Amino acid sequence: MSSAGELSVSRGQSESEGAGAAAPILPTGGTRGSPARDLALLGRQVIYEQRAFWRNRRRALTSFAFPLMFLLIFGAIIHGRVASLHNIPYINFYVPGIIAYAVMVIGFTNIAMAIAYLRYDGILKRLRVTPMPPTLYLLAVVLSNVLTIVAATVLLLVVGVALYGAHLEAGELPGFVLTLMLASACFTSLGIAVARLIPRPDSGMPVLMFVTLPLSFISDVFFPLEKGAHVLREIGELFPLFHVSRGLQPAFEPFSRGGGLVGSDVLVLLTWSAVGLWLSRRTMQALSKQD
Amino acid sequence: MAAAIEVRELHKRYGDLHALRGVSFTVAPGEVFCMLGPNGAGKTTCTEILEGHRVPSSGVVRVLGLDPARGERALHERIGVVLQSCGIQHDLTVGELITMYGSYYPRRRSVGELIELVELDAKAGTRAEALSGGQRRRLDLALALVGDPDVLFLDEPTTGFDPHARRAAWSTIRSLCSLGKTVFLTTHFMDEAQHLADRIVVMRAGEIVAEGTPEDLGGRERLPTEIRFIAPEGFRPDDLPQLPPDAALERDGESVLIRCSEGLRAAHAICGWALERSLELRAFSVAQPTLEDVYLRLTEAAEAPAGLSLHEREGARGR
Repeated sequence: MSSAGELSVSRGQSESEGAGAAAPILPTGGTRGSPARDLALLGRQVIYEQRAFWRNRRRALTSFAFPLMFLLIFGAIIHGRVASLHNIPYINFYVPGIIAYAVMVIGFTNIAMAIAYLRYDGILKRLRVTPMPPTLYLLAVVLSNVLTIVAATVLLLVVGVALYGAHLEAGELPGFVLTLMLASACFTSLGIAVARLIPRPDSGMPVLMFVTLPLSFISDVFFPLEKGAHVLREIGELFPLFHVSRGLQPAFEPFSRGGGLVGSDVLVLLTWSAVGLWLSRRTMQALSKQD
Repeated sequence: MAAAIEVRELHKRYGDLHALRGVSFTVAPGEVFCMLGPNGAGKTTCTEILEGHRVPSSGVVRVLGLDPARGERALHERIGVVLQSCGIQHDLTVGELITMYGSYYPRRRSVGELIELVELDAKAGTRAEALSGGQRRRLDLALALVGDPDVLFLDEPTTGFDPHARRAAWSTIRSLCSLGKTVFLTTHFMDEAQHLADRIVVMRAGEIVAEGTPEDLGGRERLPTEIRFIAPEGFRPDDLPQLPPDAALERDGESVLIRCSEGLRAAHAICGWALERSLELRAFSVAQPTLEDVYLRLTEAAEAPAGLSLHEREGARGR
């Protein structure tokens, strides 16, 4: 065994990555984090988070593979059928619905579970004695999750269009992207907010499923509910998922049902985002809490 | 030279529980300072306050001149911590974790050499979840060292190590000191304290009850010498020759223990007596009480234990 006396100490120079190489030689007094250094730190952490996410089968399965499985199975079953409501191919309704579902499962459930594990596993406790600020770390977790949302969306789009012939209206893509951004912000903030309420991760998953699954049945995800058809649809309208589905739909069927992202959808999503953000502060306080 | 760690009149209360009752000590730069004590004595609370995990109820705490409760990044860049239990991103490999945690620090050690130092070379590509308990502790040590800290906090660092790994960790810690690192160590193991510490404090019920070097802790050097042997057949205490006046005899079945402040004289008398009678005194030994004996007396006795002078305790408190 080599003694520590032989250990070389590299100052301000990363072992494996170039990003740190630009850091100046520092006095032993340390530094305040400069914005540029923190940005590099953030970028690297996002990459580590992505790596850890895709390696973890349980996480990748529950958040990424689930919506894909729904699309593959349901898409195969309904393939070629005509939706009864508006004489349009069901798949054109179904692809945006599943994408909305995926954004919810990844944005909300996955981030809540990720934070619950950070606390439960004691990773936050370790981070707190390192120079990595907990908020910066959490930001990396969130950004990594957004990358996962983007990856899921792209994959579902490709499968829907290439495999099942869903029709994508390129002109409606800006509204589609805007909806995705609002949905990510909304679900992520709500996910951070509820993370505080999960004492043990193993009990968190069923509880979160208990919220997300029923919601998706009344939010135009798996089948359309016509306005006034049922009181459940009015309930669904109160929650963000319904409005995400609506906002994503026109990219596939612009002239159907007069749908699309309208002011009221944006308003509902922004309201929920604000609520989520406000409640997230409690989580953030709990995360950086010293006793 | 300014103290690496300074603690004055530290109190911590959890509701009715008074976990720390006015603890004061100073750790000089480059010193290995060891805090001994049973569970619940306040070691971990004290350590966690020094690390900034907990806020003191009252008192002054300075680590490298900074207040740990403020959670300053400048402080975190200069300390390394092995916590008693804390998590890890277990989907990442040993090599990735050391590199990743290293990236948080402005100064850092070479990943390859660190992995070698904690003898995890064969596990560099293994995910943390697949490591054994001892390997995880060694990874913890590597992560505490990756930022080339000036002060290292080790909370029971070798719990769960096998004897070989323990020796290896000790020599690592010792060599860190030769680099001028300050080490704050808590442990249950006497031999660990004896091996590593320049100075030891013993905690009991939230107070420091003794302070000293491993050699003189609790007045160990001045305690009566202990002479042990296994009683020969038909042995009666009256058979023994004249011993110095303060000699006290204890018998536990076959084994005999004689405590005497004039150890040399007593041993000489007993040896002469046994040789004269051609008695075989099996397992004959002459020794000072071990650090463990002293520790047990300090931490178990509810009142001031016999053999430990009161001024020692008060002296420790006053320092």
